[in-house]
Amino acid sequence: MNKQNNIVGHTLIAIGMALVSVTLMAGCAQPRPDTQAERDFSRLSPEAYAEYLIFRSGSFNLAQETQEGGTAADRMAQDVLQRMCSEARNRPQPEMAVRIVGAARDSIVYPEGGIQLGDWRQGAELARSGTGFRIGHNVDDHSRPVGGNCYACHQLDPDELGFGNLGPSLAAYGALRGDSEAVRRFVYDMIYNPHSYFPCTQMPRFGVSQFLNQESISHIMAYLLDPQSPVNVRHSR
Amino acid sequence: MLKKFLAGVALAGGLVGGAMASDSPYLTGREQLLMLADDNPAELTLWRGEELFHEVRGPKNVSLERCDFGLGPGVLKGAYVRMPRWFEDAGKVMDLESRIIHCMKTLQGFTDEDDPVARKHSSDTREADLVAIYTYVASQSNGMKWNPPMNHPMERLTRNAGEVLFHRRAGSMDFACATCHSTPRKRIRLSFLPVASNVEEWSKAVSWPAYRIGHGVVRTSQHRVRGCYYQMRQAGIQFGSDASIAIISYWTHQAQGGVATLPDLKR
Repeated sequence: MNKQNNIVGHTLIAIGMALVSVTLMAGCAQPRPDTQAERDFSRLSPEAYAEYLIFRSGSFNLAQETQEGGTAADRMAQDVLQRMCSEARNRPQPEMAVRIVGAARDSIVYPEGGIQLGDWRQGAELARSGTGFRIGHNVDDHSRPVGGNCYACHQLDPDELGFGNLGPSLAAYGALRGDSEAVRRFVYDMIYNPHSYFPCTQMPRFGVSQFLNQESISHIMAYLLDPQSPVNVRHSR
Repeated sequence: MLKKFLAGVALAGGLVGGAMASDSPYLTGREQLLMLADDNPAELTLWRGEELFHEVRGPKNVSLERCDFGLGPGVLKGAYVRMPRWFEDAGKVMDLESRIIHCMKTLQGFTDEDDPVARKHSSDTREADLVAIYTYVASQSNGMKWNPPMNHPMERLTRNAGEVLFHRRAGSMDFACATCHSTPRKRIRLSFLPVASNVEEWSKAVSWPAYRIGHGVVRTSQHRVRGCYYQMRQAGIQFGSDASIAIISYWTHQAQGGVATLPDLKR
């Protein structure tokens, strides 16, 4: 019943948005008015006006090419997960949370030949680097490796003092948990699409977005799980 | 011991910035910055801005003294904490940076190509005139409470759309402004993050212009918005665009009732 109401509600919203789009497109066919006063925004909801601001007001450089081969407009378009989590302010109701987790699990692609650990030394560099996928006024050069910027939000090597705390500490991660198939799979899933365990988490979907490729994921996993990695080496049980 | 320490922080804060004692790591970190610096280097920018503001300039040979920042031509006291606002003459909601440019064009006759309008941000070698004038006008609201007007329908719609944008996740990393500014006491690396729901923190956080120690120059609201969209891996936002003003309108309204520190000193 609830679900049906939801579907009806979403359909109505979709129709509403379509009408708004048609109205705005009709407006665009005429000479473009210069000021807000000449346009009638009074009937727009904040959500519809926000979409107008992003896609039709000239506020963003939408035509700029991106490193992944599209345009900045593609970056601004929300996928289903981004839209649902934004609207729920990252606190999804249980039904939605279950749907998000299910879709996230389905999104995960595993490497052929199983999940292997790469080189923790390269993982250490990738965990520190915040380079990659920035556009706008200073476009990141992808001839340099794209980093995961893990330290922005997580503690890893206990000797590295410059760590953020938006995410939990991962110090001694492998030393505390071992390197079983189940641990490897959990870590891989968390990097690839963390919504498979934490619906509407703040953490990026590094695999889904192809922000990190399979090789980089394997290096970062080695940094977390290899007993020789500084993340684990100084931890005595 | 802890009480003594807190009292010390409160005393130092009171002496330097007039701030109250706080257990906010974002705010106490800032007090430490202020204790390190004898003075805020942004004052040099402020003085230059004052000269530029009163100087007869541009093709029309007039100063900016007749510019209306919302409280009437030439009224600077308290104008900035009442912005962004609707301007009937422009038919637009404008922030302070856009309004200064509007006056440079309409009163002084500068065009988009002229350096005082074209140069939006400072570099290590050249301070933008706009940043200097912005710093001077903003400083005339120092110590006052943020209180942007919400009377005109476009002021309200702009603020409300700004709230939507603030929470809107998109881009390669699924980030929104809210990703970094929702949970108290969090850091990116070593930088403590201000939270939009905490007026004490937020009123300080939105206090632009600020001399940014890491940049070595004074930065503005528009520069902060640009940096956030850049780090979020979303599209480049245009200076003074309606979307940028919507974000600034929302963030200023979130600071309502909190005290503005103008110019501020930031990491």
